[in-house]
Amino acid sequence: MFFKLVSRNSKRDRKENGLFFGSLLVSIVAFYIILSLSRQDVMVFLSKMESDAVDKLLAMIPAFYGMALLILFFLVYYASKFQLERRRHEFGVYLMMGMRRGRLFVMLLLEDFRNSVLSLLIGLPTAVLLSELISLVTARLVGLGIVGHKISFSLEGVLWTAAGFLLIKLIAFLILSGKISRQEIGSLLTETPEGVKKQMHPLVYAASMSAGIACLAAAYAMAIRGDAWADLKTMGIALILGFLGTSLLFWGLRFPIGLAVRLGKGGRLHVFNFRQIQETVIRRSGTLAICSLLILAALCCFGAGVAISQFYGSAGQHVLDYTFEGKEDTEPSQQIYAESGDAEPGQQEFGENENAEPGQQEFGENENAEPGQQEFGENENAEPSQQEFGENENIAAIRKTLAEYNLEGHFSHLFEMKVGHINTTDDMEHAFQMEPVMSALQELEPSKGRDVLLNNLSYTTYPYVVSLGSYNQLMDAAGLEKLELGESEAAVYMDSEYASFGGGKELLDIILGAAPKAWLDGKELSLTGEVQTTDLVTDRSITLSFALILPDELFAYYTRGDYTGYLNGVLEKSASGDASLMSAISDMNQKLDETGLAYESYLQNMGRKLFYMVASSYITMYLAIIFLIVANTMVGVQFLISQQKSSRRYRALIHLGAAYRALCKSARKQINWYFGIPAAVAMFSSLFGIRALFTGILPSSAKTDLPRMMAVSAAMVFALCIAEYIYIAAVKRSSDHYLLGLMVPEREE
Amino acid sequence: MKPILEIESLKKYYGKSKNQTKALDGITFQVMPGEFLGIMGSSGSGKSTLLNCIAAVIQPSSGTISMDGRQIQALKGAALADYRGKEIGYLFQNFELLDNLTGRENILLPLSLHGVPEQESKKRLEQLASYLEVKDVLGKFPAQMSGGQKQRIAAARALILNPGIILADEPTGALDSKNAKSLMEKLLGLNQNANATILMVTHDSNAASYCRRILFIQDGAIFHELRRNVPEESQQEFYARILKVMAQLGGGSANVL
Repeated sequence: MFFKLVSRNSKRDRKENGLFFGSLLVSIVAFYIILSLSRQDVMVFLSKMESDAVDKLLAMIPAFYGMALLILFFLVYYASKFQLERRRHEFGVYLMMGMRRGRLFVMLLLEDFRNSVLSLLIGLPTAVLLSELISLVTARLVGLGIVGHKISFSLEGVLWTAAGFLLIKLIAFLILSGKISRQEIGSLLTETPEGVKKQMHPLVYAASMSAGIACLAAAYAMAIRGDAWADLKTMGIALILGFLGTSLLFWGLRFPIGLAVRLGKGGRLHVFNFRQIQETVIRRSGTLAICSLLILAALCCFGAGVAISQFYGSAGQHVLDYTFEGKEDTEPSQQIYAESGDAEPGQQEFGENENAEPGQQEFGENENAEPGQQEFGENENAEPSQQEFGENENIAAIRKTLAEYNLEGHFSHLFEMKVGHINTTDDMEHAFQMEPVMSALQELEPSKGRDVLLNNLSYTTYPYVVSLGSYNQLMDAAGLEKLELGESEAAVYMDSEYASFGGGKELLDIILGAAPKAWLDGKELSLTGEVQTTDLVTDRSITLSFALILPDELFAYYTRGDYTGYLNGVLEKSASGDASLMSAISDMNQKLDETGLAYESYLQNMGRKLFYMVASSYITMYLAIIFLIVANTMVGVQFLISQQKSSRRYRALIHLGAAYRALCKSARKQINWYFGIPAAVAMFSSLFGIRALFTGILPSSAKTDLPRMMAVSAAMVFALCIAEYIYIAAVKRSSDHYLLGLMVPEREE
Repeated sequence: MKPILEIESLKKYYGKSKNQTKALDGITFQVMPGEFLGIMGSSGSGKSTLLNCIAAVIQPSSGTISMDGRQIQALKGAALADYRGKEIGYLFQNFELLDNLTGRENILLPLSLHGVPEQESKKRLEQLASYLEVKDVLGKFPAQMSGGQKQRIAAARALILNPGIILADEPTGALDSKNAKSLMEKLLGLNQNANATILMVTHDSNAASYCRRILFIQDGAIFHELRRNVPEESQQEFYARILKVMAQLGGGSANVL
């Protein structure tokens, strides 16, 4: 009998409180997905490329797991509280009939356990499937291909999920049942309407609201101007101001709602609706403020995360698959690239540019550049011997090695990229001059792009030079039109990242259209064509902010045959035809490792890019979803609790002649307001929050794209609004269902 | 004169054939305009079911209820809600004031439920408030009022739309004797001066003695009827007669065998 009761009760709980049950399922899925992150295809792939960064990310997972546990604990706590509250009367009856408190406790524990196990039985397979799906979709999206897909099932993840979930359920249950069992039977049996709290003078609330708005305005201003990121203290002040402002605002909200009660003439049950809203807002202003902040956090994470990952995802075009370094030592290492490969997740490569304008840092003058940006320099200094003999021999040696291993045939293009310095003069300060370009720039309308360009170009007194022949081979591989230069003509080369900054490329193209004159070591050249931006080598972290493409004769003259050669390769399409590009490169890497050649493949760059994309989008979206679920469940459950507590009021309304439809409409209106207030505040704040995240987190080069990124964020925020809407609809259904139950009169004798 | 309310062989059965409860088992009576009718009976006799049927909160199993010549079982949706709100005024034992609304807002609630502009009833609100002596507490919340004040606010709410009939369900049940007396006097005043029709369900013989006619119900059927002979019979004498019937109802010879 006892167990029958347990099973009946738990079944009824699931039926009556689908919202909560659904939330439990979502929390299980959330646990498992974060725990099985390391098994995702993308992560497995990345851990080969960027093992350190991935390890660091994965090391953070326990922290995320802990945080998710804590947040979801609140969800479970609130929802269980709601569940137990509505059964108070029933517990009273059990106790009245002589059930001992201990037995009641065991009964509730068993019911709870039964539901938990059932949630796990449904939730875990869902989670495993979903995680698999996410793994496949992300792999497909980033171009990994699904051929190498491995099942991402993680037993460890399942066990931890179950353990964590049961733990928070148990803790929440112990606290709640402890509270319930301490109450007197009498108070359990009678429904206790919460009564009206003592109210202060409306002016107090008005003052609180104005103070809240002032605090928020100050916090917004700090966020927008970027002051908040200056140091920990100001960041703390901004956060405290935001938190305080939101709390004060919600506490003071009873003032405008009270005003709405008095002023509003519209609609049926207007006064009732607003008094209900006022009551719940008064009683729960703290929780509402917290929910609003959670929604804000969700909006910010989601909006900023997606936009940031988009930024990393969209960088650069892909032409070359391989670049071989002209080195003869057969150490199977990638010394040079190792440094950038091990880069911190926080973008060392671009990091230094944040404050300085993207200028000449990488090359030439700067001795104090970061290790990650010294590749060209290092080559020169570390291996002067190569330059004396010319790289051709080296390149020939690489070709020979490739031929020995029968790998040449795998490449559709294999060509040398020649990059060198001007060796005809030692005067680094005046080797190159382009006064006409500079003055033409000066005459343009002032803009940020122009100023940056002016600043950058003023350092280009000793540019790199690139051989036209080798560049045209690159163009050929890229399927682009070849460049044609006259005897004394040169084309300008800029890395795409620098060129695109503030629309600099477009400005420069206009000026180059007039074929302005320039002087290279005293010789006159005319600069023609458009600015060239195709990457010269595979490694995306090797960039030239400004170089000249010279006809081969001129190149030979200025470099005096002393240049650096890089052997670029593009894989034969048939080799990567059936398998995905990624796996084709992976296979090739294995073969190349046997040759002992030093090389850089597209995979590493891809990996770096992917890592930022995956790390930022995964984690922010994950957090966003958790925040959103918790906030919405808290608001929804609270509304439903307060609706049940006011069941008498609804009954009175029914007696006074309220039709079912009118009641539903009234409750729906209350729900709109109850959800709408925290969501609207959060949405307004998120405008500033996302902007602040962009200011603080994004590298400066991405900031030119702010409007577009804000648009992406706006789209994401809109997507979240739809999720919010679905949630609201679910709560409305639940409320309608409850009201329908009230329509049948109860005997009150 | 046409009756305002006509109940014709009204039946309400709960449950299936074997263990069926006959809450109402063929009740027939009429209420004339301006009548003050009491319905008495012990717990479970079917009083509340009868009132709920008249208020159209529950559907009877068979029989008809006609208000002003209109059968209320035929009413649906908005017409039904309108009937409940405008043609009847309901007075509860527990007042059923909404505790988060002020006195004034509680009284005006039926207006907002039925989409009646507040302006129209402003004068009526004033009259009712001063007659029922609740002017001082209009701006207060129920928690700040005494029991008597609460019930008088509830009475104002039941009367605000000028209903054809007032249904009072144990209106003195939650009041002390002094407040009960003052409420009954107010109701009687309404009946005599404003010709309000009142149908009151009560246990309380004292309250019932204010009525002109009393129906006694037992096991879902009318068991007895008392009429007060005005003006010859005093309220005191009528009260004594009520007590006699009550004694029979509770432990009369019919039940003691």
